[in-house]
Amino acid sequence: MKRNWMLICCLGVMTFLVGTAIAQEPTKPEAAPKLPADMPLLSANSNPNDENALPQRTKRTRQARHTTKREQSERAEGEQRFRENCGRCHQPPHKFPPRVMAAAIRHMRVRAMLTDEDMRLILKYMTQ
Amino acid sequence: MLSFGKAGFRKLAGAAAAVLFFALNALGQTQSQTGDVKPIPILQGSAGFITNFDGGDAHLAPIATPVVLVPVGERWLFETRANFETDMVQLPGRSGFHGQVEKQVDYAQIDFIANKYATVSVGRFLTPFGIYNERLYPVWIRNLQSDPLTLPIGIGPSNASTGVMVRGGFKARPQFDINYTVYFSTLVTTTPVDSDRFAGGRAGIFVPKARLEVGGSFQHLLQQERSNLFGFHAVWQPTKLPLDIRWEYARSKRGSGYWLEPAYKLSQLPFLQNEMRRTQLVARYQQFFTGQLASDSLPPVNTKQFEFGVNYYFMDGLKFTTNYGRQFSSIGNKNVWTLGLTYRFVVPMGPEGGRR
Repeated sequence: MKRNWMLICCLGVMTFLVGTAIAQEPTKPEAAPKLPADMPLLSANSNPNDENALPQRTKRTRQARHTTKREQSERAEGEQRFRENCGRCHQPPHKFPPRVMAAAIRHMRVRAMLTDEDMRLILKYMTQ
Repeated sequence: MLSFGKAGFRKLAGAAAAVLFFALNALGQTQSQTGDVKPIPILQGSAGFITNFDGGDAHLAPIATPVVLVPVGERWLFETRANFETDMVQLPGRSGFHGQVEKQVDYAQIDFIANKYATVSVGRFLTPFGIYNERLYPVWIRNLQSDPLTLPIGIGPSNASTGVMVRGGFKARPQFDINYTVYFSTLVTTTPVDSDRFAGGRAGIFVPKARLEVGGSFQHLLQQERSNLFGFHAVWQPTKLPLDIRWEYARSKRGSGYWLEPAYKLSQLPFLQNEMRRTQLVARYQQFFTGQLASDSLPPVNTKQFEFGVNYYFMDGLKFTTNYGRQFSSIGNKNVWTLGLTYRFVVPMGPEGGRR
């Protein structure tokens, strides 16, 4: 009798936790960050620092482009750090909400001895 | 009952002074560790149901290991992990499986991130000897559900230490990172949170470009035979292949041995790609050699073991795992089979905030 109750409890707990795990699975892939509509795409061999080569644009567009490029660069770096560091021990997890991820990354800072920069870039990547 | 010697108190006082030093050092630093994102307390952890057949005897092992993380301010973290595990077996003359739930606090520690080079941890912490105990132990992380034969070497009687630890990781050169841990543990005789009195350290080099980490561990036992223990570890993930190779060696007066564990994900196969990218083949070969002194937690004779397994990831937090192993020793060879389901969960304990 006691054994049956134990099994029922185990099944109940497992069902709850599997449900939690399934609920955490993102339903849609993350959308790529939107670029300003008037931003021309760079060709593979274009030089982003060559002002003469660029068409006339407003200051705002240049700033937006600069910010987006920096964010994209940090995101790419964060993804690389994430694969190098997190993948050494476990399967890469999906993304969590920012404040949850901030707690988890602090835990990993201690446990996996991530460097300060790794922590910042991985957090940025995982919360965007 | 806690048992401290005079030397133990002196060392704890030294540790407290070190904490104070790092606290003062941190006052000069204003940059936030996590940018503009404030962390919240979370409950995470793993659970699993493992069935194994050890030499023909069936064991059912439900296991749950909740972890509570409570970040405080910019630099503090309280973390604790409990372990609830049952080893249910068939008893002679009785039907069904029977077993008791074993409850244990694996670790309960307060971490202080002093600066980019050092974090100070105080309390009960997983002994950082080698990499398996501290980094690969949870059921959702480990590739094979059986413990390596050499796992008990250097980690203390309950896999944990009680005392103080300083650790950190930093970029030493653009080409590699260095990580280190130094710790002191005092004698605690209260079961199940008992620990031995020892001091030790671990250091490693990680080369991100090659995805290679190598390191070594050292420990000096400050009780009983006052012996030295040492070990080495390596983790390599070739960038061109979904392959993961882990290796550890440990040596002590109570025994020595090594294990080597390659794991390969089938994501590069051109067919059934959705299924193949979730499938992982794992193998482990290990050897244990007895030492000058006997140990209850290590095999009594020289032992070899080979295991082969398949893991299937339904998602990153839910895994089906199965493996077969054969153990060879002078007291008899035996088969070890394992089947199991493991999963990892994360539950926020506060307003989690939206995605940025």
